[in-house]
Amino acid sequence: MAPIVQCMGLTKRFGGKTALNQIYLNLERGRIIGLLGPNGSGKTTLIKIMNGLLNPTAGDIFINGLRPGIDTKYSISYLPERTYLQPGMKVMEIVQYFQDFYPDFRVDRAYDMLARLQIQPYERLKNLSKGTKEKVQLILVMSRDADLYILDEPIAGVDPASRDYILHTIVQNYNRNATILLSTHLISDVENILDEVVFIRYGNIILQAGAEQIRQNEGKSIDRFFREVFAC
Amino acid sequence: MLGKLMKYEWKSTWKLLVPANLLIVVMTIIATITVRLDVFDTDNEGIIFSAIIIILTYVGSMFVVMIGTAIYLIHRFYTSTYGDQGYLLHTLPVDKHHIIIAKVLASTAWVIVSTLLMYMSILILFNEEGDIFSRMIDNVKSSVMWSGTDDVSAFAVIMTLIAGMVVMFARVLKVTACISLGQLSNNHKLLSAFGFYFLIYIIQQIVNGIYYVILGYINTITGDWYYGTTWEYSLLTGLVYSVAFYLITWHIMERKLNLD
Repeated sequence: MAPIVQCMGLTKRFGGKTALNQIYLNLERGRIIGLLGPNGSGKTTLIKIMNGLLNPTAGDIFINGLRPGIDTKYSISYLPERTYLQPGMKVMEIVQYFQDFYPDFRVDRAYDMLARLQIQPYERLKNLSKGTKEKVQLILVMSRDADLYILDEPIAGVDPASRDYILHTIVQNYNRNATILLSTHLISDVENILDEVVFIRYGNIILQAGAEQIRQNEGKSIDRFFREVFAC
Repeated sequence: MLGKLMKYEWKSTWKLLVPANLLIVVMTIIATITVRLDVFDTDNEGIIFSAIIIILTYVGSMFVVMIGTAIYLIHRFYTSTYGDQGYLLHTLPVDKHHIIIAKVLASTAWVIVSTLLMYMSILILFNEEGDIFSRMIDNVKSSVMWSGTDDVSAFAVIMTLIAGMVVMFARVLKVTACISLGQLSNNHKLLSAFGFYFLIYIIQQIVNGIYYVILGYINTITGDWYYGTTWEYSLLTGLVYSVAFYLITWHIMERKLNLD
């Protein structure tokens, strides 16, 4: 089966600045992959191109064998790094919204997770804390049966106590043939769930390897290895 | 998917715009009663002062609703399409044509409703004789005559109304096109949008100027110099502008999307 994501010479420039520099990258199915790199390395630009929110300057990208478009949006479940929900909507209304637009959305799964996190369906989003809004977004994203989950900084805004639950939620609620691409700075929190890591710096992929392979070859955690590679 | 987008567009806008339009109705009733009661004939300064306050509030609320509706619709388009909410909108598995059509139709409908209500409100307030709809038809007839023709047929009246709606549609699309053009800038998106708006405004004024120079003539009915536009001109330019602005908006959303 073809990789879920294929990047071929993918390049993105903003004016004179190169955000992604001729990236060649394949992401296989059924893996949890960490996309790791310092601020401004090109992580979010790459994620936006995968989601069709930016168009590449050069090169090609294929999701499930297709260029980003309506069909690839059916197969990607995307959690951006910001709050993208209408603040005036109630939680139950946004659940209905996702159900209306995504055929693979599982309502019962969403309400089950909301109940576990004690989030009331009739609450308006504007009345929720930033962390709770992030949890709602994560629940919505993980309640889909997608082929590719792209999570940009999914645990950055929540308290440490909730992080374990969220990571547990991520691992428990995805289809085993699906891929999760997880971008984060909090490597120590997520490294135990990663199958594979991709290091990105200055718009270049500098490493793609199995998580266990790095730990064995380098004799250290991914967090420690990352700090050494990206030391200022 | 178009129907679903329309449903959510309506659900998002009605909570603010229905009360705003109800305010027009309520203020019209209060102002009309005040005028009809001949309160200005009394010597009681308190009553006259209250009546002046009511009329000023009526005028003020008309301006607030008119300007507020425009600002709200522009802000909503910007935030839901190119702001944070754009991350959700543009990752929905829907055609960009449907997104534009849903937003523009909903906004145009609100602009038409508000304009119509305000127009009726003014007619009711100053109406002395005849029913309101006859007055409205008479006014449309007058505008047809003002455009320099004595053909005030039912067809001309209907086409004038249709041309008016197309012109409003084009105005809404002009705003969406300018906001979209502003997205091409990496740093000054809003400022660029204003810049494009004034640039397009100047181009439209030049087009109108050329039209007046070529077709300007003396009104055969009033004998005055004619500087109005016929419904044919309004309809034609409205359609041309609508298509141009629509294509600009679609091209940027489909090929040049640049969310921060």
